Amino acid sequence: MPRTVYSPEHCLQYLEQYASKEIFAIGLILGQMTDARENVIHLARTPEEKGSEIGIESNYGLDKPEIAKNLSSVSEAWIADHARHVTRMLPGGMFVQGIFVTSDEDVFEDPNCFSKLRSTLNHIYKGLSINEYMFGNCPYSNERLILHMSTSTKVLTCKSLEVGGLNKNTTLKPVEWKFSPKALSWQRLDCYYEFDEIYPVIVKNSGVSVKNQFQQILESAHKTIESSVMFIDGELKDGSESLDQLIKKKKTKTNTKLTQNEAPKSMHVSLFVPYENTLPETVEYLECEGSIHFSGVVSSSVFIYPKATVKEAIAAVKQDIVRSLASRFTMHCDALIDDNLLPEEKICFNEPPRRVLVPVGSLYLCDYLFPGEAPAEALLSVRELLDLKITETDVICDVETPADTSEFDALDRDASSEELLATPQEASQFMYITGLCFAMLVLLVSIIIHYYDGIIQVLSKIFPKS
Amino acid sequence: MSPRLKISSYVIERLSKIDTTESTGCLYGLMYDGTLLVVGFSLESFETETEKNSYSQLLLNFPAEIELCGVVKFGETLTTDSTTKEILQDVDITDNPLIIIINREKDMKAHFIVHDKFEETKYEVFSPEELWKQFLHVRLNTVLPLRCEATIAGVKNSLQNKRKKIASGQVSFHIDSTQVYLFGVASDVGLTGTSTEATVGELVDSMSPEQPSKKKKYNINNAEILPVSLILKVTKDILSDKLVKTAVKMMTTQRKPAFYISMPLRIDTLAMIHRNTKLLDLYIVLVEAACRSLRLMESVLIEQLGQEGIGDGGGLRLPETFHYLPPEIGHFITKLIPKGKSEDCMEKERRTLHEQLGLPLHRPVFRRGNAFIDKSGGYLVNPHEAMPVQAPKPDVTVALVRGRYAYHHYMQDNFNDDGWGCAYRSMQTIFSWFRYQGYTDVEVPTHKEIQQCLVKIGDKQSTFIGSKQWIGSTEVMFCLETLLGVQSRIIFANTGTELQSYAPELVHHFQTHGSPIMIGGGVLAHTILGIEYNSITNETRYLILDPHYTGAEDITTVINKGWCGWKSSDFWNKTAHYNLCLPQTRPAI
Repeated sequence: MPRTVYSPEHCLQYLEQYASKEIFAIGLILGQMTDARENVIHLARTPEEKGSEIGIESNYGLDKPEIAKNLSSVSEAWIADHARHVTRMLPGGMFVQGIFVTSDEDVFEDPNCFSKLRSTLNHIYKGLSINEYMFGNCPYSNERLILHMSTSTKVLTCKSLEVGGLNKNTTLKPVEWKFSPKALSWQRLDCYYEFDEIYPVIVKNSGVSVKNQFQQILESAHKTIESSVMFIDGELKDGSESLDQLIKKKKTKTNTKLTQNEAPKSMHVSLFVPYENTLPETVEYLECEGSIHFSGVVSSSVFIYPKATVKEAIAAVKQDIVRSLASRFTMHCDALIDDNLLPEEKICFNEPPRRVLVPVGSLYLCDYLFPGEAPAEALLSVRELLDLKITETDVICDVETPADTSEFDALDRDASSEELLATPQEASQFMYITGLCFAMLVLLVSIIIHYYDGIIQVLSKIFPKS
Repeated sequence: MSPRLKISSYVIERLSKIDTTESTGCLYGLMYDGTLLVVGFSLESFETETEKNSYSQLLLNFPAEIELCGVVKFGETLTTDSTTKEILQDVDITDNPLIIIINREKDMKAHFIVHDKFEETKYEVFSPEELWKQFLHVRLNTVLPLRCEATIAGVKNSLQNKRKKIASGQVSFHIDSTQVYLFGVASDVGLTGTSTEATVGELVDSMSPEQPSKKKKYNINNAEILPVSLILKVTKDILSDKLVKTAVKMMTTQRKPAFYISMPLRIDTLAMIHRNTKLLDLYIVLVEAACRSLRLMESVLIEQLGQEGIGDGGGLRLPETFHYLPPEIGHFITKLIPKGKSEDCMEKERRTLHEQLGLPLHRPVFRRGNAFIDKSGGYLVNPHEAMPVQAPKPDVTVALVRGRYAYHHYMQDNFNDDGWGCAYRSMQTIFSWFRYQGYTDVEVPTHKEIQQCLVKIGDKQSTFIGSKQWIGSTEVMFCLETLLGVQSRIIFANTGTELQSYAPELVHHFQTHGSPIMIGGGVLAHTILGIEYNSITNETRYLILDPHYTGAEDITTVINKGWCGWKSSDFWNKTAHYNLCLPQTRPAI
């Protein structure tokens, strides 16, 4: 049985819009592979190359750059770069699964075209393997899709090709591409992963490299997350069960009557990690003159095919958190003018871009906003990288909030204390006392009101009217 | 209402035997089901020690849930001096502290203090069997990273914060190899993987592969231990209104250069709980156990920092946890010992502990080797204890090996010594005994190492190494002396019959030294683990451990087929010569 891929119908219209105008187009196939079914979520045309400048900031649409008219004029590196940028926008469990082409050539038969396709896919593969924490390449298969729509015959063909292997003589395999008329309902899983770590660092004269620090944080976070245990809706689930089974069980348990069409509710995910067990069994001594406090949350929303297993969902959530962290760090470091922290500054803040959600079809992908950037910035990347138009109100900006710098100022004053973990607790204790005082006051007032007559009487007896 | 009172028979036994000049001691116990169970005591030498509250420090070495519960007075009259009052004020576990008074005749009376008055109270003696049947221990393991300034203040601060964090409900616990998780939910406790009504005892029973039959033996060597690990919830509660969604950020601060330590704190701590304790209630017990362990950790680290000087980093050693279950005490004592620190430099510390707990001062109890850990390495430990206990008979003295040993026999360690290695194996069993009793850290020697040792001291030619030559009692003696510095007594018996006349001496050996005896005669070597001697009829039986066993480490086979068992005196060949090696112990702590 050939590999079967399910795609929403709008992908067909998307391809047809280029094919009917006989425009050559190339782009990425984004999707999710599970044991139960392979789904494509979106096709995104690679934007036109603009000179040597790689970036999405320039205004696409205003200038009229040279358009690649056929496959041979396409730059593999440019498409690989597109794939790297798009991967940042994908939640865990979603991957660049291949490329699509609309052209008048028979790309599978023409040896030049075929070798171009193969080298493009391999370029993408290599580009996505540079940073392992991006989880760029789908770990479940090395077979990438090639979807072709002929501009002359409008015939759609899909095949797959192995990438990354040493075997140069890989052959094309047939793939069945199916359109499903109904929009797929996705199971959404949400969580907030929290960081709060303080550790000493050696500053010396050279200062501290932001890149190195982020890399270390990423490595340790990855290790921790990999070792974690995941609960869904507060319970440990059997990894082989499918997500929709969990819902069915819950329904029968609570006996609520939900209609078939109602979108499944989001599942809440919690992660439990064993305490750090990677430390060497020795006492290490360091002379340090700095410390790093890494804190805050990574919000994670993944979308999984409801018939997929708990195990697949867990893997997707774990990928999502690490991928999101890696995306922010890369974007932050790319934008840095100076990688050195300190030594002149007493205190240094690094605020990587925060995550926002952008709607694509029936689910959400994400984008990142630097501090001070407006949600409108996300529209640009969605248009450039996903070839999609959304409005500013579509962007969900409140999954994460930007850091409040006054928080840092408070910490600055307290920088001499060893660990700052106690601060929030003290605050809550204070609130508790305030709350208690207020409650006492309410009680007192209500007593007075309740016994008002009595009190007045007593008072009048004590202080008889003269 | 004052609680009901039960006193562990270990405590009664110890108190009745104690010979002390101190006038006061502390009692430790736990509350369950409206009952105060006294499980331990310590002696307080207030006059000499300048350190205040040595009992509150000692308490950190006890399993969690055991708390200070009262005072024991040695004397004739019930008076409360200032030290007694001080101790009684520290009793938190009950509103009615306990005072036990023991006079010179060892008569014991218990009193609760109710509204500042003494009320004499009856007590029930809690037998060891009941104790090990009704109570079990949870053992919490985790590794916490410690990264802080290498100062006393730095360590204190950091550990205090860790305790705060643990007590704040952020931690969760996982009962190893189960699906059971306990976690803090707001100010409450959640449980998944089993019914919320489940008790700890039920869980333990469901985990054991055997049926929880009534036949199961409950004694100090079968103490049930439920392993638990600590885990941290790293995700925030989405539904919580306190959810702060600030995106990840990094703050780097520069400060004055200072020395920092970075080390793993290996938490390994126990709590003693009744089997009927609800799993839900275990959460708070585990939190307390973790905090107690951190306090103990703190005191060990600070003591080291104080000793070694701050900042140079030379001497700070990782604290390693050892749990002890001395049979006479009947409850666990947990000690943290700096890694690699020699036993000799800690003798003073151990002596203090022996004195506090009223333990004899002539044999080790708290060396690393004494620890209650499974270091059997797959060998059977004390197989003779699997035999049914015999009822005491009049005029019959039974003297047995004291403490633990491992059963070494043919074909173990992937080494074929069938037909020639029996004395080597007997020697290994003796060696393991010295290891278990804490006399040594030296590994049990292999056949080759034994041979090398004998060549080195000139007893054998170098061709002996790698050969299959037998050794006898004297060689065992030489090896024990060379490898362990242990002296042995050799007894020669011209015939198996003559052997019987040495029975009183063997009884004496087990009572004073308690080590296994190696016996060689004819072509066979055996290990003697005990002796039964009828002083009227002279009838003698020997508890034999046979090193010629070639089978698997299966206790049923070993016992049922008599590889370990009581043998009458006709077990010995009437006409053969016999040599016995009786390893002697020297007083040590």
